[in-house]
Amino acid sequence: MAIFYDTQSLLERYLIKLVRNPTLLATNLVTPLLFLLLFSQLLQKFSIFLPGVSGGYLAYLTPGVVMLNAMISAPQGGVSIANDLNSGFLSKMLLTQVRRPAILLGRLLTDMLVVVGQSIITIIVAIALGVKISSGLPGILLILLTTAFFELALSGIFLTVGIRTRKTETISAISGVLFFPLIFVSSAMFPISFFPSWAQTVSKYNPVSYAADVTRDLVLGGLTFSTLAWAYTLIGVIALVTFAATLYQFRKVIS
Amino acid sequence: MQDIITVEDLVVIYPDGTRAVDGISFRVKEGEFFGFLGPNGAGKSTTIKTLTTLLRKTSGRVSVAGYDLEKSQREIRRSIGVLSQETSLDVDLNGWENLRLQGRLQQLHGSVLENRIEELLKLVQLDEVARKPAGRYSGGMRKRLDLASALIHKPKLLFLDEPTTGLDTQSRVAIWEYLEALNKEEKITIFLTTQYLEEADRLCRELSIIDHGKLIAKGSPSELKAALGGDTITLTLEDALLRAKTKELLRTIGGVTNILDSESGVIAYAKNAGQIIADIVTTLDKNSIRPSFLSISSPTLDDVFLRQTGRRIRSEELSRKETEPFLM
Repeated sequence: MAIFYDTQSLLERYLIKLVRNPTLLATNLVTPLLFLLLFSQLLQKFSIFLPGVSGGYLAYLTPGVVMLNAMISAPQGGVSIANDLNSGFLSKMLLTQVRRPAILLGRLLTDMLVVVGQSIITIIVAIALGVKISSGLPGILLILLTTAFFELALSGIFLTVGIRTRKTETISAISGVLFFPLIFVSSAMFPISFFPSWAQTVSKYNPVSYAADVTRDLVLGGLTFSTLAWAYTLIGVIALVTFAATLYQFRKVIS
Repeated sequence: MQDIITVEDLVVIYPDGTRAVDGISFRVKEGEFFGFLGPNGAGKSTTIKTLTTLLRKTSGRVSVAGYDLEKSQREIRRSIGVLSQETSLDVDLNGWENLRLQGRLQQLHGSVLENRIEELLKLVQLDEVARKPAGRYSGGMRKRLDLASALIHKPKLLFLDEPTTGLDTQSRVAIWEYLEALNKEEKITIFLTTQYLEEADRLCRELSIIDHGKLIAKGSPSELKAALGGDTITLTLEDALLRAKTKELLRTIGGVTNILDSESGVIAYAKNAGQIIADIVTTLDKNSIRPSFLSISSPTLDDVFLRQTGRRIRSEELSRKETEPFLM
């Protein structure tokens, strides 16, 4: 099928670009590890407030950092398509016989692969530091699927902004403004019972909390079907909305 | 020979209301080396983008490579190669990888693609640097790699939007030689836009001159120049009053076929200008008119443009060059 061939061709392109930019590659890998090591060290004593958590704060934090990986990678697709629009490379691709959807699919697959790679490394480091993944290998696979799906849903925001504004600065600004509150006012980094009541309310509606809770239950144990279903429904709705917007903008470019 | 491009009453209006292309019609025969000559903003790029399916036309009938532009965009894209004005390569990929990606997007596979890549790298003389990132190539090398990628699927029709703008003389001549060879030996029809008069003069067998979205002259470069009626006599006169008087006097001289104003004085056209130059000098001298500069030359395409528009392409070209960073 031509669309698979085209998607594979573009996936290869983005992976080569990633390997050729060691700084970007290193930043992608180092940032989550930095969060994992720094926070678990600085807040070591925090473990005494988490009596029910075996493995202490590090075990609590690991799922949050896995979700952070998704949030770091999500803007990359938007940045890439804005660069291609500005350099004329997108026009050059549109002048070929490439199946149009492959242009988006190749990029989305690349970023999902990057997130999965980052998350595997994060989990390996966590295990090396003594964290036990209670759900075992199937649980790890579900963690990877959840983080890739979450990344996909968020990347639609930045693809839309990237195609519409063609400015990578705008994407960085939006991701900066969006990510700090989303990640910190959620259950990703700290238990929400420690928050003041307004922040608890915000956390309860924050999609990051849902994605982090699934991952956390897979690490610490006790995942229920309803937690999983709620998280996937919510991420699915976000994906639908952001990709409706992305496709609307993309169609304007390709027609 | 069959027509490979036919354009009738093409109009392209941008969303902001600009009429970038304002009702042009032309035909390009198979095997032709066809050029669009015009200054910046004349509508050249808009025409190419429309013909190559990148921009939507407002109205008119267009057929490219035997396919209707509205109905068969996919088929058109399969038959044409396009070299855009902005060199667009992936600077992180090396030369070989850039060609491979382009070939794959054009649905080539396996050994057919590999052989074609080697062939093209040799053609544009980049086989020795094929494994270096394109980001480290010079401007001329990038343009050659871009040209190779436009040729990867063996198109029968090649569109080139200002292929040598921003290149140094040596790179420009190299591109010209490739294009001439492609047209002669590979029988590829070429549609080229340019703002360089000497480029149009050297390469194109058929030429249309475009200005403000309209075609103002058509023909081969020699036909267009011959239509001016002979050699060009350029007289430089600072005083505007003297210019009017000079034009009056020139009209009385036999053999002068045409008289035009220029930025710095007056231009006259005459068959065998050498024989009447003495008459001109004597007549002017009798009336105490002494031009600060006087020359005779064969007419150029710039004279054709001047006659049609009252402006020169060259002066716009020069003032543009000064403000533009030199890309190399």
